[in-house]
Amino acid sequence: MLEARELVVMREGRRILDGASIAVRAGEAVAIQGPSGSGKSTLVRALATLIEPDAGTVLLDGRDAREIAPTQFRTRVAFLAQQPAMFAGTVRDNLAAGPALHGKSLGDAQAGELILAVGLDESILPRQARTLSGGEKQRVALARALANAPDVLLLDEPTAALDPYAAESIVALLVALGVRGLSVVMVTHVEAHARSLGGTLYRCERGRLLVDA
Amino acid sequence: MSYVQISLPRLLLSLGLIGVAVVLSRRSRLGLEGDLVWGALRGAAQLIAIGYVLLLLFNHESPSWVLLLLAVMLVAAAATAARRVEHGPPRSVLFPRAIAAIGAGALVALVPVFAAVVPLHPWYEARYLVPISGMMLSNAMNVVALVFERIFASASSEADQVEALLALGATPRQALGHQETATLRAALLPTINGLLTVGLVALPGMMTGQIVSGTAPEQAVRYQIVILYQLVAVAAVAGLIAVAFARRLLFTARAQLVLPRP
Repeated sequence: MLEARELVVMREGRRILDGASIAVRAGEAVAIQGPSGSGKSTLVRALATLIEPDAGTVLLDGRDAREIAPTQFRTRVAFLAQQPAMFAGTVRDNLAAGPALHGKSLGDAQAGELILAVGLDESILPRQARTLSGGEKQRVALARALANAPDVLLLDEPTAALDPYAAESIVALLVALGVRGLSVVMVTHVEAHARSLGGTLYRCERGRLLVDA
Repeated sequence: MSYVQISLPRLLLSLGLIGVAVVLSRRSRLGLEGDLVWGALRGAAQLIAIGYVLLLLFNHESPSWVLLLLAVMLVAAAATAARRVEHGPPRSVLFPRAIAAIGAGALVALVPVFAAVVPLHPWYEARYLVPISGMMLSNAMNVVALVFERIFASASSEADQVEALLALGATPRQALGHQETATLRAALLPTINGLLTVGLVALPGMMTGQIVSGTAPEQAVRYQIVILYQLVAVAAVAGLIAVAFARRLLFTARAQLVLPRP
């Protein structure tokens, strides 16, 4: 279980997060909605331990994230930026990046499974990752994160840079991953996308989280 | 052996060369005239001053004076290498790290050579120690300046890549790996090019000077070979240390990327 307790993040004297708390159970889907500037991106980045909160705690299975090696924590808790950066090389190289960091290789069968799981065809594997469309990049980034076999998936506005059709299909994909037991936390400013995820809905307002009825 | 003397009027004549650059700068509106004139005067003043300092030093050779001069050279090199870097931390943060990187690089290049290859008697013999140390400090300065200039800029422009790797569970070293490699290659390139073109394009100043002042060319060449190898060592050590410092400035202890605010 991934949990945040009373997170506070200050930037240039302003409270971006002001005591935000959230708990995500195993296999749960959570959508966090809110206007831009409400702190939702900061929250999900703090949950990923990519930024250090000024106060409050992030816990993974009840253990303070500060007691877990960052490399280990982030292998279990994956994070996808709004427009994920592709690494130089092919799609196949990108999928192998996570395991390679931990001294493991990614087999052809696994690469094929991962790319199918995100709704792409195996023929994309030898293509240069940086030449893909926005929607394809988003999916490759998702497959790249899944290669680490994480327990939790954190996504910062995964639909914001996509056309409506691609956005809907990404949300459907996340729903399918949730069904397979992965916890999914998605930040979005689009209410329809938040609702289609079908899980708990939070609203981010002035750095705090409220459960949306 | 006698050599051609440069009289003061002839020295002033050489200022015409700066004049050429000033005229070109003005006609092309580069706005560098002030810098050129200031640089020409400052460079000449510094050289004339070091000429007298060396004269004084040779006449009153003592370890403390020699070490003091080397320390001044080190501080000047570090201050130059730590000049305001775009996307980088302030000079006050870079300066002590530049001292450490340049100093360590110079030590690695100088100590074994003066211990085993060019043994000095006494060990602080200024006419060897000062010019050769100067060349090492100067090369280390350029390498460290290039490293600082490039690593912070690339970490900033490729922050999304670095963070994507961190998010996949990379250590800071892994996450910044590409940027570190590119930076070090760029910083070492001038030194390596120097190795490849020496004798073909460039006839190094020290060798030329030794030959002009009467050293047997064969010995002058041997000195130059040793110096070239020293320059490689100083560049590699100073560059690697500067990169390691930059990495520690770019990440928190919890492997979070923090782009420095100047």
